[in-house]
Amino acid sequence: MHIPDGYLSPATCAVLYTGAAPFWYVALRRVRKALHTRLVPLISLFAAFSFVIMMFNLPLPGGTTGHAVGIGLAAVVLGPWAAMLAVSIAIVIQALFFGDGGITAIGANCFNMAIAGALVAYAVYRILAGRAAIGSARRVMAAGLAGYVAINVSALLAAIEFGIQPLLYRDATGAPLYCPYPLSVAIPAMMLGHLTIAGFAELTVSAGVVAFLQRSDPSLLKTTAGRGAALAEPAAGRAMRPLWAGLGALLLLTPLGILATGSAWGEWMARDFSNPAVRHEIAATSFQQAAPLRAPEGLARLSQIWTAPFARYAPPYIRSAAFGYLLSAMFGAGLIVLACLTVGRLFGRKEPAT
Amino acid sequence: MKLLDGHGGFLERTIEGMHAGLERAVAAEHSAAGGGLLQRLDARVKVVGLLSLILAAALATRLWVIAAIFALAVVLAVLSRVPLRVLAARAWIGALAFTGAIAVPALFLTPGVALYRLPGLHWTVTAQGLTTASYLLLRVITAATLALLLEFTTPWVQVLKALRVFRIPVVFVAILGIASRYILLLLETAHEMFESRKSRSVGALEGAERRRMAVGSAGVLLSRTFQLSGDVYLAMQARGFRGEVHLLDDFAMKRLDWLALAGFAALAAAAVWAAR
Amino acid sequence: MMLFETAHLTYRYDRLTAVEDLSISIREGSRVALVGANGSGKSTLLRILDGLYFGQEGAVRFRGEELTEERFADDAFAFSFRRQVGLVFQNADVQLFNPTVFDEVAFGPLQLRWPKSEVRERVHEALERFGIAHLKDRVPHRLSGGEQKRVALASVLVLDPAVLLLDEPTAALDPRSQSQMIDLLVEWGGGAKSVITATHNLADLEDIADRCLVLDGGRVVAEGAPAEILRDRELLERTNLVHAHRHRHRSGEAHSHPHIHSGDVERSD
Repeated sequence: MHIPDGYLSPATCAVLYTGAAPFWYVALRRVRKALHTRLVPLISLFAAFSFVIMMFNLPLPGGTTGHAVGIGLAAVVLGPWAAMLAVSIAIVIQALFFGDGGITAIGANCFNMAIAGALVAYAVYRILAGRAAIGSARRVMAAGLAGYVAINVSALLAAIEFGIQPLLYRDATGAPLYCPYPLSVAIPAMMLGHLTIAGFAELTVSAGVVAFLQRSDPSLLKTTAGRGAALAEPAAGRAMRPLWAGLGALLLLTPLGILATGSAWGEWMARDFSNPAVRHEIAATSFQQAAPLRAPEGLARLSQIWTAPFARYAPPYIRSAAFGYLLSAMFGAGLIVLACLTVGRLFGRKEPAT
Repeated sequence: MKLLDGHGGFLERTIEGMHAGLERAVAAEHSAAGGGLLQRLDARVKVVGLLSLILAAALATRLWVIAAIFALAVVLAVLSRVPLRVLAARAWIGALAFTGAIAVPALFLTPGVALYRLPGLHWTVTAQGLTTASYLLLRVITAATLALLLEFTTPWVQVLKALRVFRIPVVFVAILGIASRYILLLLETAHEMFESRKSRSVGALEGAERRRMAVGSAGVLLSRTFQLSGDVYLAMQARGFRGEVHLLDDFAMKRLDWLALAGFAALAAAAVWAAR
Repeated sequence: MMLFETAHLTYRYDRLTAVEDLSISIREGSRVALVGANGSGKSTLLRILDGLYFGQEGAVRFRGEELTEERFADDAFAFSFRRQVGLVFQNADVQLFNPTVFDEVAFGPLQLRWPKSEVRERVHEALERFGIAHLKDRVPHRLSGGEQKRVALASVLVLDPAVLLLDEPTAALDPRSQSQMIDLLVEWGGGAKSVITATHNLADLEDIADRCLVLDGGRVVAEGAPAEILRDRELLERTNLVHAHRHRHRSGEAHSHPHIHSGDVERSD
């Protein structure tokens, strides 16, 4: 799922390079602080391993085979920051020396797979594994799911990057200049392959190798076990800061959503069905199938039940659309974070000071 | 002995893939030592020049501009003794197959002026669909050709050192260098592991068995990786490594290099201007 | 002042004791062989002498200075030590970690912050001296065993250390490369340089060392000139450097010969 050159506009590529750079910078500093002189040999060797793993043709259920990126495994064994660096290095080598993945797309590929992938995989692993013993089956499952979720998040990011291309970049005749498929096609197309094949390949590698290591070399699993070993963050609060910063940056970018004119596929209101302009749009994004003349009954009934507080992401008392978007995003993200923290408090226990 | 697909076919394919990787590295090294036009240039000029052409192709909003850059790339390839069949085999076929498959639906799905209706089916090729598919294919193939040119005319160690031109921190260049050096080793180790497992597996293997084999190899490789990293760390320390990396390069700009750099800059600028 | 001195040195890792209560001293300008089978602790001892491992108990001194982790944290001391003592690892895949031969030989001088022009000069000189100038842009991976060992030696000797530590220098080499290696060492060793070689290859002992320390289970069990050690059949068998090989002839007679393994080449005495 390495994005080649030509699918993303240079502007998109530049944004993703710029987005990746701070993560690389932070990762380098953190890993250097944790590993000191060991940084160079460890990251180099793991990057080489990562590269080779990506070449493995993994047998999957149903007789298919797939390739894994190994980001789940990397995050579990090295922690998010070192994993981010190692897999980025592997991606750069693939692009420059083996023609696999575009050179302008290196930033995008690293952002999707190495950076977002490592952070998501680590988060999922730590949440699911909790305080289980290093050799427990729970950790195997957690690692597997971490890999699965991470690769799907990477795929989703790539799908979004693909999907906004025809929206933003067209030539004088209206022909898309880069990826021609809008979100409505890009997202299902990407997710189908990743929720199934690629996801399971990732799950197999993460879970399988963690299980193998539990028997052969459990010390390799210590760093992310959360017990104050070499790469564990000294204070959870400080560790989270770059993640908060990343979330903040994403929030600020949400007004970009306004650029998506019209409504997302499937997100139509009951009254849209009688609006000719919207009907035309529905048809255009649904393979030329005309929309029914009246809103489907079920849709009409259910749409009476709930009126969202921030209808259409635009609270009525906020006049600027962009600000309204931003506000909704912050509110939404805030709700999710609050929910997660509450769940964490309820089901977790305070970690003892090490 | 060719194993039937589904009975260890994954082993075969993995081995083939690794073998192809190793073989490509050798071929590139060999080509980079040849006596063509690009081989004679300073690595930094090539890195900056070829990458700016890739960028120009990415920025272009006119099909003919991309086509022109592609033509230029092919000419440079020929002048650098990279034969067309190598370009075709290593850069074009893969790119065309993959992107071709992706581009075909766009012919019909892109809204716009109808051009041609497929007899039988009710699918219409639109002018915009044709244009967009062409953009995609041309860009992909142009970028792939230019990237291959860099790979096949410059020893990769020099490409890495040339990256310093972009102010990439030395530590990353060092890591890239050491990682590449060990990729070859690990590829061979994995290759041997798979070959020996292949020769030991008689008859059909159950799905779970095969998965275990693949995953077990990955696990063994990971342990070996960590072991190597520990030993390499000692070897580096023994030679005075204290955390700071120092590189030495052999770069020196000659007149030909300045000319080439100017040439690349002019072409890239022209491409960007022509596409306004 | 002794070159190296250890006092009750003990080194443990995991649950193994690799070196136990070791007290030895090595003089300047001497050529010493640490002889022992695999697992006898000789490799570990070399790494301790090179300041890569630090014992849990006891002390190591190099020219009177104690080698501790704290001492090595000081840049000045570390650079000075690394300049004076060089270690050639057994495994070429570990020793040669740079992308090209040139980079490998240049690594040491660059780390020691020599000026770049001087580095270039010295590297070319070393490449010439070891007959590997034609390999300078090659990837270490695709060199032959003998070529790799020469690159390894060049990369350490370019710094012109006073002490050379060698871990199994002839292991995994074909006989011709082995003899070339020995020649190189003998030639370089002549003079005020000190060479400490860890080996289980008894065949070259007399060429490469004036004094042998036999190790077994992390302890020194014997000491003496090579000729003495080689004569002590019982010692060699006890420390697993030699084994008795029994075979039957067609006539029914049973013979027992001691077998000496020189690297991968077997010959019976």
